[in-house]
Amino acid sequence: MATLIHRPDGPLADGAVQLSSTTPVLSGGRIGVLDNGKPNARLLLTRAAEGLAGRIGGHLATVTGKGAGANAATSCTSQVLETLSKEVELVLTGSAD
Amino acid sequence: MGDNAAVDDYQGLVEVADQGPEGLYEYFSERGWGDGLPLVAPTHERVEESLSHADGDPDEPVAILSPRDGVATRRAVAVNAVLAGCRPEYLPVVLTAVRALGHQQVNLRGVNATTHPVAPLSIVHGEVVDALGFNAGLGAFGPGTRANATVGRAVRLVLLHVAGARPGPGDASTQGQPSKYTYCVAENSAESPWEPYHRSVGVEAPSAVTVHCGENPHNFHDMESDRIERILDKAASAMATFGVNNACISGGEWFIGLCPEHAAVADGDGWGRADVAAYLFEHARRPASEFRAQFDRLAWADWMRAADDEALLPMTQEPGNIRVFVTGGPGKHSCVIPSWGMTRSVTLPVAG
Repeated sequence: MATLIHRPDGPLADGAVQLSSTTPVLSGGRIGVLDNGKPNARLLLTRAAEGLAGRIGGHLATVTGKGAGANAATSCTSQVLETLSKEVELVLTGSAD
Repeated sequence: MGDNAAVDDYQGLVEVADQGPEGLYEYFSERGWGDGLPLVAPTHERVEESLSHADGDPDEPVAILSPRDGVATRRAVAVNAVLAGCRPEYLPVVLTAVRALGHQQVNLRGVNATTHPVAPLSIVHGEVVDALGFNAGLGAFGPGTRANATVGRAVRLVLLHVAGARPGPGDASTQGQPSKYTYCVAENSAESPWEPYHRSVGVEAPSAVTVHCGENPHNFHDMESDRIERILDKAASAMATFGVNNACISGGEWFIGLCPEHAAVADGDGWGRADVAAYLFEHARRPASEFRAQFDRLAWADWMRAADDEALLPMTQEPGNIRVFVTGGPGKHSCVIPSWGMTRSVTLPVAG
């Protein structure tokens, strides 16, 4: 016999994070690196960004950490996110342990 | 109804063809829901009965939970409490734990994103322990009591479903740990020589819940000693290990679960909770040089960074980070519970 039950997940918050649309053309684009604080993240991500820049004719515009007081376990400061959104079209981030 | 339904009209009712236990089990498994164990069907009637034990609007958010940014309304929490097997009257305890998880200092996004095995421990304090039948005595961390088992499980189901903390996309823990299924214990106030824990941190309420995000309990035993120092030396040795995040993150807390017999020895020696914490702060130590040899990065307080290599440094930067409560029954086993590190415990009065 069919029955009604409640979904267990509930709604999403207003303003829940949505993925941005993909940059249509990366050619010549500005690339940023956001070091998430994990060991060697800056080195790994910078090398990857340099390799990508070489392939698309872009350039590595900025390499930054998450901001004052932040570390691998905390969120990036809004100031850093705002700066990145103005300065680059693509950000590489998120190296794991 | 989709995930993006508005909060105020969200009922989230879906039709299940087979309401038997096996049908529900399959339905949830196919959708990536559940914790892998059988579940109780969250029918409208059961959820409403659970909600009858809460005070406010069923669709009012209790917390917003990362990483999914899910809204933990009273209704959503009640659904998961039913799924976990909670009695309806347990709901205020589950709601209080979920409310605590939403506090910024818990850093739930980090708790769920880390590769560490961290799980939130819910510690239940006060009148509600006896009133709802929580086990604060023999085997307090173990199986056999519905309140402990299902309240801890409900908190985990809320994390899985509302917070989106599924292994992989929402929970990066390398190995996980058994307490990710259920992790709830009650304070044994009846056999504690001290005031209830929640009052010691300024929560003046008949009942409360503390949430501490950490590892499984690490046992230490002392069968012989009649001096508290000799007992706490075992605790200190269990704490002074490089395998825990507290070793490289000095802001992390420790929870010390003393059994009643060890607590009685402390009380007999005239020690209070703060004395126990101060002793462990002074004796759970290793030379600075050993920390530095073990870690390339140390998230330490400035005074610890400045210490000479020969200095003996503690496993947390201040004694106030060592938090003591009494739980368990007869016997001489106690435990230390390390922290994930980048998180702070929260204690709240029980409220629906």
